[in-house]
This record gives sequence, structure tokens and C-alpha cells, in this order.
Amino acid sequence: MGLISGVFMGMIFGIALMAGWRHMMRYRSTKRIAKAADIKILGSLNRDDLKKICGDNFPVWISFPVYEQVKWLNKELSKLWPFVADAAELVIKESVEPLLEEYRPPGITSLKFSKLSLGNVAPKIEGIRVQSLKQGQITMDIDFRWGGDPSIILGVEAAMVASIPIQLKDLQVFTVIRVIFQLAEEIPCISAVVVALLSEPKPRIDYTLKAVGGSLTAIPGIADMIDDTVDSIITDMLQWPHRIVVPIGGIPVDTSELELKPQGKVAVTIVKANNLKNMEMIGKSDPYAVVHIKPLFKVKTNVVDNNLNPVWNQTFELIAEDKETQSLIFEVFDKDIGQDKRLGIVKLPLIDLEADTPKEAELRLLPSLDMLKIKDKKDRGSITVKVLYHEFNKEEQLSALEEEKRFLEERKKLKEAGVIGSTMDAIDGAASLVGSGVGMVGTGIGAGAGLVTAGVGTGVGLVGSGFGAVGSGLSKAGKFMGRTITGHSSKRSGTTTPVNSVQENGGAKPVQ
Amino acid sequence: MGVISTIFGFCGFGVGISSGLVIGYFLFIYFQPTDVKNPEIRPLVERDSETLQQMLPEIPLWVKCPDYDRVDWLNKFLELMWPYLDKAICKTAKNIAKPIIAEQIPKYKIESVEFETLTLGTLPPTFQGMKVYVTDEKELIMEPCLKWAANPNVTIGVKAFGLKATVQVVDLQVFAQPRITLKPLVPAFPCFANIYVSLMEKPHVDFGLKLVGADLMSIPGLYRFVQELIKTQVANMYLWPKTLEVPILDPSKAYRRPVGILHVKVVKAMNLKKKDLLGASDPYVKLKITEDKLPSKKTTVKHKNLNPEWNEEYNFTVRDPESQAVELAVYDWEQVGKHDKMGMNVVPLKELTPEEPSVKTLDLLKNMDLNDGQNEKSRGQLVVEFIYKPFKEEDLPKSFEESQTVQKAPENTPAGGGLLVVIVHEAQDVEGKHHTNPYARILFRGEERKTKHVKKNRDPRWEEEFQFMLEEPPTNDRLHVEVCSVSSRIGLLHPKETLGYIDINLSDVVSNKRINEKYHLIDSKNGRIQIELQWRTA
Repeated sequence: MGLISGVFMGMIFGIALMAGWRHMMRYRSTKRIAKAADIKILGSLNRDDLKKICGDNFPVWISFPVYEQVKWLNKELSKLWPFVADAAELVIKESVEPLLEEYRPPGITSLKFSKLSLGNVAPKIEGIRVQSLKQGQITMDIDFRWGGDPSIILGVEAAMVASIPIQLKDLQVFTVIRVIFQLAEEIPCISAVVVALLSEPKPRIDYTLKAVGGSLTAIPGIADMIDDTVDSIITDMLQWPHRIVVPIGGIPVDTSELELKPQGKVAVTIVKANNLKNMEMIGKSDPYAVVHIKPLFKVKTNVVDNNLNPVWNQTFELIAEDKETQSLIFEVFDKDIGQDKRLGIVKLPLIDLEADTPKEAELRLLPSLDMLKIKDKKDRGSITVKVLYHEFNKEEQLSALEEEKRFLEERKKLKEAGVIGSTMDAIDGAASLVGSGVGMVGTGIGAGAGLVTAGVGTGVGLVGSGFGAVGSGLSKAGKFMGRTITGHSSKRSGTTTPVNSVQENGGAKPVQ
Repeated sequence: MGVISTIFGFCGFGVGISSGLVIGYFLFIYFQPTDVKNPEIRPLVERDSETLQQMLPEIPLWVKCPDYDRVDWLNKFLELMWPYLDKAICKTAKNIAKPIIAEQIPKYKIESVEFETLTLGTLPPTFQGMKVYVTDEKELIMEPCLKWAANPNVTIGVKAFGLKATVQVVDLQVFAQPRITLKPLVPAFPCFANIYVSLMEKPHVDFGLKLVGADLMSIPGLYRFVQELIKTQVANMYLWPKTLEVPILDPSKAYRRPVGILHVKVVKAMNLKKKDLLGASDPYVKLKITEDKLPSKKTTVKHKNLNPEWNEEYNFTVRDPESQAVELAVYDWEQVGKHDKMGMNVVPLKELTPEEPSVKTLDLLKNMDLNDGQNEKSRGQLVVEFIYKPFKEEDLPKSFEESQTVQKAPENTPAGGGLLVVIVHEAQDVEGKHHTNPYARILFRGEERKTKHVKKNRDPRWEEEFQFMLEEPPTNDRLHVEVCSVSSRIGLLHPKETLGYIDINLSDVVSNKRINEKYHLIDSKNGRIQIELQWRTA
């Protein structure tokens, strides 16, 4: 009897013990899970949540802006700045100089930094926004402001004039930097970083130019030239949709998805212009039109002498990479001895175009694209254009890429041969050299193979460009970005592969 | 009878307990699911005030304390990245653990140990606030408040003696407040040399450890014991002021200190080209070492000479003999206008053997592009003699001296005396009425020292060091530091201005050995100056 009751009691006790244990397990488990849930939800509080928790005692120092403020980061940055500036100076010099060379306007023979120091005012990060626009990518927008006191002295050499040091003063940069992280399932989890400046709001880079020990008037128009150069570099290299792709070492990944690719082509027919402004003292203006999507790929029409209502009827094809944000820019110039004068400029956003439907438009010319700079409201005439946008399919895209690459290489060769003074020269019928003053004599290739008139075959031969230079410039820029962004160790940056810029450049191909 | 029945009763109880435990185990624990469910997260708005009340202790620090900055963007970033990070970490952990396990198994006669599941769960760590401290030292200090309440599922299956057991870790929670210090700061990316991590308080660790389905941590008392054990262990290792040091880059390398001296003797040039219209060229040589900020050095101009002999010597400090090179360019001097380049060449320092003089005859080239056809033209030769002398080990400044440790005074210091070192780091917000070209002037026992002038700058950085050798500790002495500005233009009007001054009592330095502080300047609006003082004794 004792045995059975003992066993029975024991069993009940044992089971009860187990049940108790299990209860304990459950209890502790639910408590932990509840805590995890709480922490998760408290980690992403919004205003309403906080109102609900705090009620009347809502802390006044808290606000919820779209761009979150990062005071602590700024504090750290200002402390770190002298060291960052020191380290960055060398890298910037290395990476930007080839770019300057590439984008140097005709009329300037050499453009180099003779002094570069970033000053001792650290940039401010006004806010950071993180979002996920695409699966597997994190998009970080950084509101970046820098009103620094850098000392940047450019050594500018123009034809026939000795080197003039030009100082960039009172530099101010206001821009939103977009950094896209491509995620991967391997440490360090980020396979590539894409850096670009958001085009909306437009990056603002202000500075004043001052000649050191000389006058800016020594080379006429030099201020504008430098402005244009800086502007072109930024819009063509960094401003969205253009971007710098930096693969991060360690993981072999296909970054071609991230690169900018030709998306479509635009056939533009510049029909005519009406009521142009007369810029000449004697007679009338000699107008020609220049059109581009990217500053490196400009095409221009013939010059129509002595006419304020010129008819060109010339067709060009331009390549677009991003229909959403890019625009066609039309400019009308007056051909003149020396510097050509701009009669007007106008912009046609590609987003207004429908694919494969021709559109004819008459656009009013403006003195400048920047609405803030427009002083006079005088009528500058209008330009009539026909535009047809065609979206590429896969094969066309590839061939366009090839074409572009070849085009740039040819242009580079020509540049070396001295036919065009700079890659920034626009191409026109007679391959005339805008102000570079270097003859085609002795180069042999020059022989007037008009692109528009003589056909693409020879045309491509004529127009070359520093594709390699762009590539190397980019790779250096890439290296630079790699160093700053990855920041793992200085050794690592060495492995950063050069940015493949082939896909990055859209091409302009004049046609018959 | 009663005795036997009681004994039986006890035996039965014993048997009963064990069988009861087994039945209970199977009934209540074994058939429990072992997978980890994602916690159900209800939005805050749906909750009643009672549950909200329970959450209050967990409220993020940035809500409670205004000195903590919110880092929601970082949390969001981490959240988006977490799935990838989770997979990456687990993969790495598995790869690291595998060889270790394989090595250890035979010792314990275990057949196999393997991860059955390994995931860190869906909940990322969150930063509940970030605080940074600004000190006068070359360091960055930040204190994030880290809370990781995760739902990981780590199951390890162990097979031994034909039996299989599983150990499962669930519901890991780690709350910690680390202090991350980046120092010293160096002028090379990523701009700091070491990361120091230490914990400001004992971390909170909680988890469930299921052995064959039963959570050991639920045994009353055991959890507390284990948690306490872990906390003390971790605290022993990393609780402030103990730190975990992670070296990022060698600071001595980042500073790029000089490692040697290069003597260059420009001997002569031969067969130079005629560049001037009338007469021969007027050649001179420009020398420069790459990656150096100093302006290039020039020889004298030899007028009207196509085979000039200079025999002039120059010295360069070398920072990196692997990558640096000497650039030599011959120019034609002109009275008016631009000096023409007659040719150039570059000698990488790699090509030179240390301590050995080498005479090189260099062909002058148009540029360094090997493919350029214009280089085939003869432009003459340049004869140069090089000697590269690397500093010997003992000459080298001792790797990298920590700014915290005060160095010893030099040997010949008199007994009882020492070396007073004044390092003028920087000033802020100094402003003159007419001009602001500040420099600091130090007056000590009648001796005057000056820093270099910084032109047009309200926040000058000098980083200059001055030393005073003293017979006895300067206990009753004062140091007078004055910030002055001199007009950049030569003129009688406003030649010199005082932007502010400060008198520092030196007795503190003697007792503290080292002081690094910012002082408010007297006779200045908001001016401050950062001065480091060291008292080095033998």
C-alpha cells in the first residue's frame, strides 16, 4: 500500500515539478518576447506614439523632421576635420586634376591646382534620411552644407599668356548627397556604394574667383570658362542620374545594374529659329545652335550667316540615360571672331516626351537657365525643334554602349593629335576648332571630314575624346570614394577596382 | 509493519518522482515546438495605458535625456541591412566554428557537433540614443546605448555514444552601454588609428538555454547565477577603464615621418638644345621630390651655356622611399616671359641603394610618357649624383609616442629640475580690430618665443612645441601667453595688435605633469586658446 501510494505521490510530485518548470519556462519566455517586442516598437517611435506615451509631459526638445538631425555626427566631424582635410587634400588633387584636364574649356591650355587646402571649417551634415526604394538597396540622403574657408588656387594657362594663379574664394556647397548601398550576404554586407548628388534640389556650389597678383581680365571670359568647367564636371559626373559606383573590395559582384546605361535615344531636328537678337555691330548675327543632354556630348548645326531667322533643318541623335531627370538643352550662339556670343538657351525635359511619338515644339529662348540670374525680360526669339524619343531594347542598348566607347576613344586620339583643343569642343560640320588656335596642319586626319556632311564612318574617325582619361579620372575618383566611404583601413582602398565608366557616358552621334 | 510500509513508501516516492518527471517531461516539454516564432508586434496606438505603463522602463534614452541624440536613421539603416547581416554573420560563424569543432571532437569522444539552425532572428539591434563627448585631446568619444532584444534560434545537435542531444539558445537579450573611443586621430584615412571599446556599466544579458527542450534558465536560481557569472566575466574584461583595443592602422605610418635623407648633387648637363633666338640657352635645374608640399629647389642660372656645370648640392627628406621619386627639370631662363622647359626626367627612389653614392646620366625627355614620339629627339643629358641615407633605427623618433604618457626629460637635466614643454595647439574666435593674422607669443622668465603667423584666420591652428630647460620646478612661476596680430601690409597704421592674453600658473603643471586645456583669453570677446603643458623630470 505504502509503495503504491509512494509511487503515486511521487508521480504527482514529479509531474507537478515538470509542470511548474514548464510554467516557469513559458512565463520567462513570454516575458522576454514581450520585452523584445517592446524594444522593437520603441526603437521606431513616431510622434503619435510618443504623444500617447508621454501625454502632457511631451518632451519639448523632440521633433520628427524628414531629415533627421545629427548633432553628434557634426560634433565628431568638426573635431576630426583637420585630419580629414589633411588626408583628403592629396586624394582630391590626384583625382580631380585629370577631370579638370578632361573638361577644360577650349582656350585654356592647362588647368591644375597649384594650391589646395581645405581650410579649418568643417562641413555640416544638416540631416540624414534613410529609406529603401528598392529591394536589396538602402538609400541614404545626406543634406550636406559646407561654407568653408578652403584655399584653392588654380594654375590656369591660356594660349599666349603665362600661367595665372586664380583663387577660388568663399566656397559654399549646398547639396543633398545620395548614397545607395547595395547589400550582399557576405561580410561586410555592402557590395557596392553609389554616390551621386541629387538634382532636386539642385546642388548649389558658389564661389568667387580672384586672380592672385593679376587681373581676371587678362584672359577674357576666364571666369565664365571656369564656371562652366566646374558646372560641367558636376552635372556630368555627379549629379543624378550620373553617379560614381564604387565596388567594395572582397565580394565579386555585378555592379552593371547600378551603372548608368543608355536608356533611349532622342532624334532632334533643329528646324529653325525666329526673331533672334542681333549681336553684331555691322550686319546681323551669324547664328548656330548647339544641343546636348550631357555637356561632353555636344552637337552643333551649321552657321547661317547674317540671318536672324535661320533655318537649319538638321537632325542629330543623342543618347539619354534617364528620362525622368535629364533634359535636352538647346543653345543658340552667334559665330564671331574670338568668343562666340550666346543668343539664348532653353531646356526641354525628356519627361515631357512620349516614347516613339514625334513632337514638334517652339521654345522661347532665355538668357540663362538659372531663373535667379535672369535680369531682362526682353524677347530673345524662339527655336523650333522636332523631337522623337525612342526607348532602347537590350541589343540596341549594348550597341549604343559600344558606339559611345568608340566615339570617346576616337575623340581622345584627336585631342592628342591637336585637332580639337579639348574634349569639350562641340562638333560641327567642318570640325572647326573653337578658339583653340591649334591648326589641323600636319595631323593628317583633319581633312575636313565633316561629320554631318561626310557620314559617320569618317566622322567617327574625326571626333575623338579622352575616354581613357575619363576612365582613369573616374577610377581615381572611385579610389577616393572608396577610401572615404569604406573607411575600413587604408590598405583596403588599394584593392578598390577602378570604376567602370564605360556604361556611364551617353553618346552623341551626329548622323547624316 | 509501519516501518516497512514507510520504506516502501519512500522507495515508491523515489520511483514515482523519476517516472513522474519523465512523464511530465514528455507531457509538457518534449512535445513543445522548438521553432522560434516571430514576436507579434502590435502598434503602440492599439495598446491600452496599462501595457504602455509596463513599457515605460524600456523607453529610449533620447526621449528621457536631452543630451542623447536620436539615431533613428541608423536604426533604420540597420533594420534594412539586418537580413543580409544576419546571413553573413551566421555563415562566417559556421565557417569559423567548423574547424574548431572538428579539432576538439576526438578528445571528448563525441561523434558530431553541428548547427541545426543558426539564425540571429528578425530583430536587429537598436541604438536608443547616442551621446558624444568633446575633449581637448586628439580623440573622439561616443557612447551609444545599445539594446538588442533578439529572437535568435541557435540549435546545436550533439551526437555521442549513439545518443543525440540538442542545445538551443533562444531569446537572447543584450543591453549594453559601450564607450567607443577613436584615437589617436591621424591625417590619413580613415583618420583614426585605434578603436577602444569599453563598457560603462555591467551589461544586461538574458537568454533561454534549452537542453533537450527544457529551458535550463528557468530553474529558479540558476538563471540569476548564470547571468551574474556572465556579467562579471564580461565586466572583468571590458568594464571601463578596461578596454578592448582594435588597431586599425599603424599610427607611425599614418604620420608619414621622414625615414631618410636624400642628397642630390646636380653635376652638369651636356648637349642642351638652343632655345633662345640670340645666343645659347640660359639653363637652370628645378628639383622636386614627389608627394612633398615644399616648393621645388632651383640651381643657379648658367647664362649662355649649352654644357653647364653646376656642382650644386641639395637635400630632401624622404618619407616613403618605395613610392617617392625625384623630378628634375631643366629650364631655360628668360628675362621676360615664361621660362621654357628644355627637358625633364624622374628618378624613383626605389632604384637607389641606400648609403651608396650613384652617379646617373639622365636623358632629358619632353615628358614622362613612354609612347610619346617627341621623346625620341635628343634633348641633351643631365648628370646627377644621388646618395640616399636612411635614418638608423636609433635616430628614428620612437615609433609613436602616446600623447598621454609624459616623456622623460633628456639625460643632461639637472637633478630636481626638468623640461617644461609648452605646446600651443590652436585658438578659436580671436579677432582683431583691423587685422587678424594671429600668432602666439610666449613669455616665460624673460624668455620670449613665437609661433608662426597664420594669415587672416579667426581659428588658427599652430601645433607648435616650445621647450624650456629649468633648474628647479616652476612652482611659483607663471607663463604668459599672448595672441598678437601683425598687419599684412607694411604701413604705419595699426602695425600690431594684441588679440588677447592669458597668464597660466605653473604649479598645477608640476603636480600634474601634464595639462591640456582651453583657456579663455583676457581682453578678447570670445577668444579661447588651447595649450598643453608638460613637466618632464629626469
